[in-house]
Amino acid sequence: MRSVLRTACLALALLACALPAAPAETIWQPAPSDRLKLVRQRGTLVVGVKTDYPPFGMLDADGKPEGFEHDLAQDLADRLGVKLTKVGVTGSNRLQKLQEGTIDVVLATLGDTAERRRIVTMIEPNYYSSGVTLFMPPRASAKTWADTRGLKVCATQGSYFNRTLQQRYLFELEIYNNARDAKLAVKDGRCAGYLFDNTALMNDLLQPEWQGYQAPLPPTLETPWAIAISDKERGTEFEKFIGDTVADWHRGGFLVEREKAWRITPSKFLADARALWTRKEADGSPYCRRAPDGAWRAECRNKVFLTSTDVSGFTQFGLWLNETTGLNLSLIYDPFDRVQFLLGLATTLLLTVLCIAGSLAVGIAGAVLAESRHRAVSGLARLAAVVGRMTPPLLVMYLLLFGVGSMLAARYGISLPAIAVVVWCLSIYTGAAVMTALLEAAEAVRHDDPAFRLHWSNVWRVARLASASVTASLINVAKATMMASAVAVPELLSATTAIISDRGNVGVMMNALLLTFLLIVFAVVRLLRRAERAILARVVRP
Amino acid sequence: MNLADTFSHLWAWTPYLLGGFGLNIVISLVAMLAGTGIGWILALLRVSRHPRQVRAALVVTEFSRSIPTIVFQFYLAFMLPVEVQVPFTTLILTFPVWIKASLALAVAVVGFTSDNLAVALQEWKNGNHRAAFLFVPSWTSYALIIVMASSTASIIGVSELVSRCNTVINATGNTQLMLPIYLYACLFFFAFCWPLTLLMKRISATLARRLAPRQGETDPGTSERMPVTGG
Repeated sequence: MRSVLRTACLALALLACALPAAPAETIWQPAPSDRLKLVRQRGTLVVGVKTDYPPFGMLDADGKPEGFEHDLAQDLADRLGVKLTKVGVTGSNRLQKLQEGTIDVVLATLGDTAERRRIVTMIEPNYYSSGVTLFMPPRASAKTWADTRGLKVCATQGSYFNRTLQQRYLFELEIYNNARDAKLAVKDGRCAGYLFDNTALMNDLLQPEWQGYQAPLPPTLETPWAIAISDKERGTEFEKFIGDTVADWHRGGFLVEREKAWRITPSKFLADARALWTRKEADGSPYCRRAPDGAWRAECRNKVFLTSTDVSGFTQFGLWLNETTGLNLSLIYDPFDRVQFLLGLATTLLLTVLCIAGSLAVGIAGAVLAESRHRAVSGLARLAAVVGRMTPPLLVMYLLLFGVGSMLAARYGISLPAIAVVVWCLSIYTGAAVMTALLEAAEAVRHDDPAFRLHWSNVWRVARLASASVTASLINVAKATMMASAVAVPELLSATTAIISDRGNVGVMMNALLLTFLLIVFAVVRLLRRAERAILARVVRP
Repeated sequence: MNLADTFSHLWAWTPYLLGGFGLNIVISLVAMLAGTGIGWILALLRVSRHPRQVRAALVVTEFSRSIPTIVFQFYLAFMLPVEVQVPFTTLILTFPVWIKASLALAVAVVGFTSDNLAVALQEWKNGNHRAAFLFVPSWTSYALIIVMASSTASIIGVSELVSRCNTVINATGNTQLMLPIYLYACLFFFAFCWPLTLLMKRISATLARRLAPRQGETDPGTSERMPVTGG
């Protein structure tokens, strides 16, 4: 009797436990989503898409964005019944923009890696997949990845595979801001190949511009692509909505159809996924369905995640800091990041010294030439100074490196080193300012001594009048060296953004960067002022 | 591609590029106005009689002079939120990225204004009103420097002239267009800045002529930053 009672009680208790769980087995109740509310409120879905990755995302002849992924974005917005706003993103800023909330969704050839899953919410199922290969010039002879060991290779900022492959094949990586610049660098011989997704490269090889170019290496690091939303949206109805939509794309053949429409070589991934997602259980229900916790059935998930985090080399302090304060200062515990940051710092310091010396040299030489007795020489020097001051140095860098550089490479096989171009451009721009200051000072000296004419031997006579202005210009050029990051010089800013795109530790790295630069500038100011005083002391009263 | 082809391409893209350059000007103007406002306050504090205010203003000026604008652009782009919901309303304010570029540039303007206006205000106090007006051409010259610097906003993704040049090259896929289009963009900057510089030179020359000749001073019209005596 007693045991019967106990059994009944136990059964009742089990039932009580089982009852509320039973409906969850079929219907998963996701948390409400703030972001989805915001999307509905403003009536638009803001999607980050690529515009430099044809045919997945590109600009048409009128400059309007279109492509495979743009069609997917449109379908997402249509299903939500809101308008679509597309925001062009790049490999280096797409996750940033998602985290800071500029965009609601990233649909931009984003590889689904374990590392990134820690920063954002990756939507399953994956909607496409790609591997990595090397885009090489016609003359290249490499056949296997092993042949490429130690080569100088171009890449684009923010690609998940940069670090893994660099470590694996000891590449000397040159990181560019966008695919175009990197491919041109290959064309100009600045690097042996361009490391990128095979899907994009296959499309490039079809273009007449790249006739004869090749991608001879078998794709490696096959990685699925995922739509991503903010990490705050994990487990919400927003995640569920997009996941269900992608599942529906696989089931309904939308992806295969769009792939065909954009003339993309049919991928095995999509064919396999379609077969999997249309598979039915014996009772006719779909084989791929969500488990009670909302995740898809294990067989329908992709487990090919990269394990790129190196667990070796962690130091106690960096970890302790990360665990106790949440400060992810990977500079301290990760040797790879630390070396990258220190190399960036060294490059920045080198650039600073070269630019200051260059500006001073250009300024003094220009001023002496401008004061020359030869009308033509003087006129040319003055004109050069005006042009130098009135054209932004960043633009001139692009002009020289890509405009002139590609011409030189095509005609004479010469490739311009980026760092030299940067030093040249900044020296000309700042040198023109230094020159103007010297000439104005020379003009002032002429008030007392009308016969005065600036020459190498008497620069000291204008030193006192011009020094404040010259020093100010030199301080400015020290602050401007970061422009070099735009043309793939691996200085501090590039190093920092590379670390951020690997780790997602924006706040810490940005503060570290700003602090480092403030210290550099303070040091430069002190040193220049001291040099200025020393020079003036020797020069003014000879 | 022949010359006529190149020109027709450039012509076709001109409205788009001009729009980009317009944004350069807007970024620069906003930076100048915001920076001058704050710099003005600092300059007033610097000529005040309270040593504590003077010191505080000097420290702020020192910082605004030392922060590299490009790094600060990145800093703001990464750290400032993009959309802010005004409390107690459903109103959503957006921070477009070009405003962030403007704000970063404004920091440099704060330092400039603080330094140069402090000199001008001192002159004004001493009854040297005309000398104080030399601030105006000097300010305009600095505005041109800011216009040059506004091109760096392309690095954080502002669709201004330089970034639109890259967009055009990407869109056309025509690498032969690179040299002409960058040259063309240089021309935009040059055509805008040169006439203004000539005008400012003339104004400051006129001003300088009207002033009693004061020895040992460089022409402030073109110097980037004047040293502040007693600062």
